[in-house]
Amino acid sequence: MISHHEKRSGCKKGSLLSTAWLVLAAASPLLAQPATAAEYSISGESNTFLRMKSTIDDRNIYPLYEYLRLSVAVAEKDGSATSLQLGAWGRLDLGDKWTQDRADGDLQYGYLSYHGAKNNLLLNAGRQFVTEGVATERIDGISVRSDLAAGFAASAFLGSPVVSEPNFEGGDVIYGGRVSQGKQGLYSVGLSALRSEGDDDRDREEQGIDIWVHPLKQVDITGRSSYNSLTSGWMEHAYTVSVTPMDQLNLSADFSRVNYNDYFYNVTTSALSLTNGILLPNEEQTALGLRASYSPVKNLTLAADYKNFDYSVAGDADYFGGGASYALPGSLTTGFGLHRMDGASDRLQYTEYRLYALKQLGKLDLAADFFNVNYDQRVNDVKNSFALTGSAGYRFNEKLKVWGDLEYSQSPDFDHEMRGLVRVAYAFDTTYSDGRGKSEK
Amino acid sequence: MKNKILMIVMIPLVLCALFACANTQSRPMVHPEKVTGIPNCTECHTDSWGAMNHRTPDFFQKHGIFASNARSACASCHQESFCADCHAHKEEIKPSDKYKDSPERMLPHRGDYMTQHKIDGRINPASCLKCHGRQNNERCVTCHK
Repeated sequence: MISHHEKRSGCKKGSLLSTAWLVLAAASPLLAQPATAAEYSISGESNTFLRMKSTIDDRNIYPLYEYLRLSVAVAEKDGSATSLQLGAWGRLDLGDKWTQDRADGDLQYGYLSYHGAKNNLLLNAGRQFVTEGVATERIDGISVRSDLAAGFAASAFLGSPVVSEPNFEGGDVIYGGRVSQGKQGLYSVGLSALRSEGDDDRDREEQGIDIWVHPLKQVDITGRSSYNSLTSGWMEHAYTVSVTPMDQLNLSADFSRVNYNDYFYNVTTSALSLTNGILLPNEEQTALGLRASYSPVKNLTLAADYKNFDYSVAGDADYFGGGASYALPGSLTTGFGLHRMDGASDRLQYTEYRLYALKQLGKLDLAADFFNVNYDQRVNDVKNSFALTGSAGYRFNEKLKVWGDLEYSQSPDFDHEMRGLVRVAYAFDTTYSDGRGKSEK
Repeated sequence: MKNKILMIVMIPLVLCALFACANTQSRPMVHPEKVTGIPNCTECHTDSWGAMNHRTPDFFQKHGIFASNARSACASCHQESFCADCHAHKEEIKPSDKYKDSPERMLPHRGDYMTQHKIDGRINPASCLKCHGRQNNERCVTCHK
């Protein structure tokens, strides 16, 4: 007998295979493209990770991961380009099984893309990540966006939502779009909407307005409000004002308000569901933040921040602190931070420290990272939760890098935990011969 | 019925006309200058692109708005896999574990996150939702039945 969950998983795997075949079939003309285009390029990167750690029940696990990304692009002389973008990972447990399945994997994205020479026209088909106003979604489907006349731009998407469904189903069809109007360098206002439907039901129906205003070189305002028309309430308002009175100084203030009843509507995990007894359905969170950063000399940045969390049901909290960072590209990067959480409950009273450094010595990279949380009240009889990591990497050449790190940590959940990781990164056939490649970072 | 047919015909026609009238050059697919490390966009850009300065303390908070407005600008430096590291459908390695060779990056969930997620989840659960509300949450079920 197949359980409902197993049925659903089977369906997802089928959908995944269908997507993969669809993308490959659609890409076949691209792969067979004769060399008449202005530029033909294949680039990619393989990242192999071997993790070493023990589980809470003292099993030694050694999962081996392969992350692969591939990009095949044909660029025409008129500036347009057609490309195939693929990203996937797979895992094999070399020691004890980590999860239920000894091997697992995922197609992160796989789509055929057309980039027009005019109006920033973009057409994507396949598994892709859509960011259009209220929509921050991964879908198996199609999307299109373009600039239009008079400062207008429009986008639309349609597909099947790519969701994981540990507790609740996440819909079968999702569609939406965004229309914006703006003046380059001055402002942009966008209206967006999405709708997701499942078995005879509407799972989500959201509308939003977003703004990006840059009235002066020194002032930048961004923000978004989203509305849930199924609950008839505002999900979120989130706005940030940044002021840069001089090149060395940046000041920023942000305001956000989240209504839990409207925001956490129809999620697929009980961890963020209003039915879990942890999140209070009638809660409304208002947060006000202030930040300042100052660079007295090039490469050195000093920063301070403060955030107040105000709740209509639970007690309030303040989070504040500061830090400094120094970055000399290609040589040394270092920084530290100190933050205090001061809230109404015991759990919300702690001090957080961080110290890190990355030193490059020729082809050798060395890094150290210390992260510590000091609780005012012990948690599971532990006062200090910390992780100390030491890492070393060697760059054999532009394409090949090997990296290893060892982390020792102590926390309320794990006593004296040691974890290791080895990573081999190999970038192949990066075709921008003048060195202009895209960054993984 | 007539109105629906009229709309189905008119909307694409209007969009095509607006597209034809715009006639602007698309942004370059690759950033003209090679950028290394965390970029300070104001070093070259004196217009609104300078607002994308990655070194400002509020960049992380604003990056979603930039992605909505100018995704192609992000794509001129970043591969699609860059987004997928955090906004994943299914992921087993925390970004901060995956890239320990870049401690300067604002990668989430450093250190012991088993304990800390209970605190962050209480303080600001909305920040969890973008990456875990409907994706990348299969392991939550281990405890959250």
